[in-house]
Amino acid sequence: MIVLALVLLPILAGIIMLLIPAREENPVLAKGAGTVIALIEFALALGARDSEFSLRPWLSRPFESSFHFGATGISFWIVLLLAVVTFSAILAMSVPRQRQFVAQMLLLEGTMMGVFLAKDLLLFALFWDLMLLPVFFGLLGWGEHPATAWRYFIYNFAGGLALLLATATFGVLFGSTDVIGRTDVHVVGSWVPWIFIGFAFAFLVKTPVWPLHTWMPPTYSNTPPPMVAVVSAVQSKAGLYGLIVICMAFMPDYLKAYAGVLIVLGVISLLYGAVVSLVQNDTKRIVAYSSLSHLGLIVVAICSFNAIALQGALIYIIAHGLFSAGMFLTLGYVEAREDTRSLVRLGGLGAVNPKLAGALCITSLAALGLPGLAGFVGEIVILTGVFQAGFIWVTILALIPIVIAAAYMLRLFQGVMNGPEVEDLPVRRDLTWLEGIALAPIVLALVVLGVNPHALTTFDPAQYNATQTQVAQGVAR
Amino acid sequence: MIVNVTNADWSAIAPTSIVAVTALVVLIADLLAPKHINRYAAIVIASIGIIVAGVIAYNQFRSGVNYGAFGGAFILGGFSTVFEEIILIAALGSIVLYSAIGREDRIAGAIALMLWSTSGAMLMAGAGNLMTIFLGLELLSLALYCLCGLADRPTSRESALKYLILSSMASGFLVYGMALLFGASGSVALADLTQPALATNPLFWMGAGMFFVGIAFKLSLVPFHAWSPDVYEGAPLPVTAYMSVATKAATLAVFARFMYAAIPSGIGDKLLLPIWILAAISMIVGNVGMLAQHDLKRLIAYSGIAQVGYILTALAGGTPLGLRYAIYYLAAYTFMNLGAFAVAALISGDREEGSRLANYRGLGRRHPAAAAFMTFFLLAMAGLPPTAGFLGKILILSTSVSAGYAWLGVILIVGTAISLYAYAKVIRAMYQRDEHAHVHEAKANVPLAWASAVVCFVLVIAMTFYPLTPSNVLPLVK
Repeated sequence: MIVLALVLLPILAGIIMLLIPAREENPVLAKGAGTVIALIEFALALGARDSEFSLRPWLSRPFESSFHFGATGISFWIVLLLAVVTFSAILAMSVPRQRQFVAQMLLLEGTMMGVFLAKDLLLFALFWDLMLLPVFFGLLGWGEHPATAWRYFIYNFAGGLALLLATATFGVLFGSTDVIGRTDVHVVGSWVPWIFIGFAFAFLVKTPVWPLHTWMPPTYSNTPPPMVAVVSAVQSKAGLYGLIVICMAFMPDYLKAYAGVLIVLGVISLLYGAVVSLVQNDTKRIVAYSSLSHLGLIVVAICSFNAIALQGALIYIIAHGLFSAGMFLTLGYVEAREDTRSLVRLGGLGAVNPKLAGALCITSLAALGLPGLAGFVGEIVILTGVFQAGFIWVTILALIPIVIAAAYMLRLFQGVMNGPEVEDLPVRRDLTWLEGIALAPIVLALVVLGVNPHALTTFDPAQYNATQTQVAQGVAR
Repeated sequence: MIVNVTNADWSAIAPTSIVAVTALVVLIADLLAPKHINRYAAIVIASIGIIVAGVIAYNQFRSGVNYGAFGGAFILGGFSTVFEEIILIAALGSIVLYSAIGREDRIAGAIALMLWSTSGAMLMAGAGNLMTIFLGLELLSLALYCLCGLADRPTSRESALKYLILSSMASGFLVYGMALLFGASGSVALADLTQPALATNPLFWMGAGMFFVGIAFKLSLVPFHAWSPDVYEGAPLPVTAYMSVATKAATLAVFARFMYAAIPSGIGDKLLLPIWILAAISMIVGNVGMLAQHDLKRLIAYSGIAQVGYILTALAGGTPLGLRYAIYYLAAYTFMNLGAFAVAALISGDREEGSRLANYRGLGRRHPAAAAFMTFFLLAMAGLPPTAGFLGKILILSTSVSAGYAWLGVILIVGTAISLYAYAKVIRAMYQRDEHAHVHEAKANVPLAWASAVVCFVLVIAMTFYPLTPSNVLPLVK
């Protein structure tokens, strides 16, 4: 029941909020209501661990399908991440037509809850397409270039269609789509490679991975900061989540067969993202390309078929969610103060805005993998696992972007906070209380996970010795 | 052959005849009723007639009877009643729209024509022999020719003339094909076309080929589609709404009955392959064609071309489940289309320039609710969740994969991806921040149109979560 509430509450709240006539706009009330919903969601998410709920059957022909939700294994952690990030994003935001924007944020939260809580492939596909809409409308209504909305939508909908076809075929072959988290699922037949390719295409577009990433930098830089924080922190993880709980769990042979290709794409993303990030002047684009780089590392980790690497991937999924959300929010605050995102214009803000500088400092240090913060744990565990799996060259190649990451993150921080004060930049007040409270849980979680990553145990160590598939199924279960 | 007509025969065609008689009552009431209420009299009588027919058809459906009335000329069964229901819903929706925005002085005539056309479509849904098919088709089409020309604008007359000429030619093909089929089999009954000996008879192949050309025209499959955007554009909006659903439903019923029940065993794959290829081309051309449109009606015409391709994809392979999913998708298509037309009626009435996409610019600001509904219906046509379009596509995909027509499924996916761009173009226009739009405003608050939009909205959502498909549609011949 809790899991159902997790999905439906924000969706219903969002719809109601959209339906209220807009005669007297009260931005504070809208934000307050959104924050309360997000807080309730967080409380629900905390209590949702290992709960499952099956509403009723959906289809009986041509395959069985049901409204089945569950917060087990990796789902629980991502859902918790989603709840935290949405809360932080809504709490301190300030955009025009705030009520509608809060509604879109809530719809985004609810639909993504659906993606990560769905235990049925058809339900998963339904929410997968549905979670595109709030971002589409966000881009259309609040983005700087509405054309970006297009690119985002077409790319991701194409992926969603591949997912749909793969789901239908999977259902026909296996006879049921109520499978996520089950361990007895084996699909066989000459169709399976195509099913795999359909799923993989959708997941790689969503993650994204080079060369399917071209929608991502413009989307990230055009979306309003609160929304992009959620999108980059959680929505991008839907692809990785799918790779683990669907591709790896049900079609391990094919994932293994194509692992070489995926690892190459992952490594290219890793290097390409890092290098491009180094030369960007738009602060949001820097973080966007760094995401490409970081998510490439997770793809490599998943495809290396090693239990340690997979554990690292889980930690890094959460860590990346936290620090990318933190960075996008902080940079959003900077942008709201100075009306620019360009590194050419910005500079010297640290002297008058020490709290803002501190927040950006911690999140960017986590992003570059400083020991003691969550990013480091993820990276080191992934690299250990990939090395152990025998991909020595991949490990060495993956070390290069970590060095570059230090360069572009420090460049970003210095460009915004250090250096001489720019004369004609407006001087605004430092981080407000509300913004501080919004960032606090993210920073706190980064530190806690950095020193105590064991908090994030998703499957018991006994399974470390088992095969990768069993581990993946353990993760999903 | 002498046929003894019994009461059972009459009750089998009761829904059809009730609709036809209702049309007469509408006309008489229009003569007798005082001027200021005759508009409402026509609507109320027509609605009552349709609802009574619908209830009777529903009871027939529930009873599970399978009966060949009039010596097998009209086959009452789950299949015919389901199609009758869909056609009746289309008629009711369009009549409601007509009464909301149509010209007042022509309302009774238009409604009567629409009812006759409906009864023709219902005859086609139950047609058990070639003559009934032709009878129903002509009744459907003749009324539509008049309806298309009903609006006061040159394009409307153009639409009627174009439809008349091209459709008559298609009817020519159809009837010639029927004659050849009759020559080959020696019988007009569809059931007699299954004789195995026909498989080697060139007359049968020629006849079937010409028959399919006629069908493909009526379904506006590419390359027989060119008439539909023009006719849709010129016809009055409610007539377009009616045509986009009822004509297609009736023709699909004929086609489905033919392919499921009237083909000599063993040659179905060979005989129908051209149709599947046309369906595939239609899915691509229809969706690509949408991209270039600047008028909502034309856009929906092209969308209809593609959607028929989707429905044929479900039929490919000839599985019973495929037929059920085709009906499911057809019902979904009906509600999505009627919903979209209801919103279009709300926004612009039935003026010629009203359905231009330029007119939808900035609609999100002016009429947020109308824009939201339109967005919903367009996304439903594109197959986004949580709509019946989404589930319908999943069902079609799964049945095409299991029937061995996965290539059609892949083309469906490609077509859908293209279509999304076209639908999203309209959505973007609606939410664009454009203050200089040259807008032809109309009454934006027509309760009847609102009501039908809301009903369609609810049904499209409900169909997703309660996907009922009729289980007793087979057998198709008696």
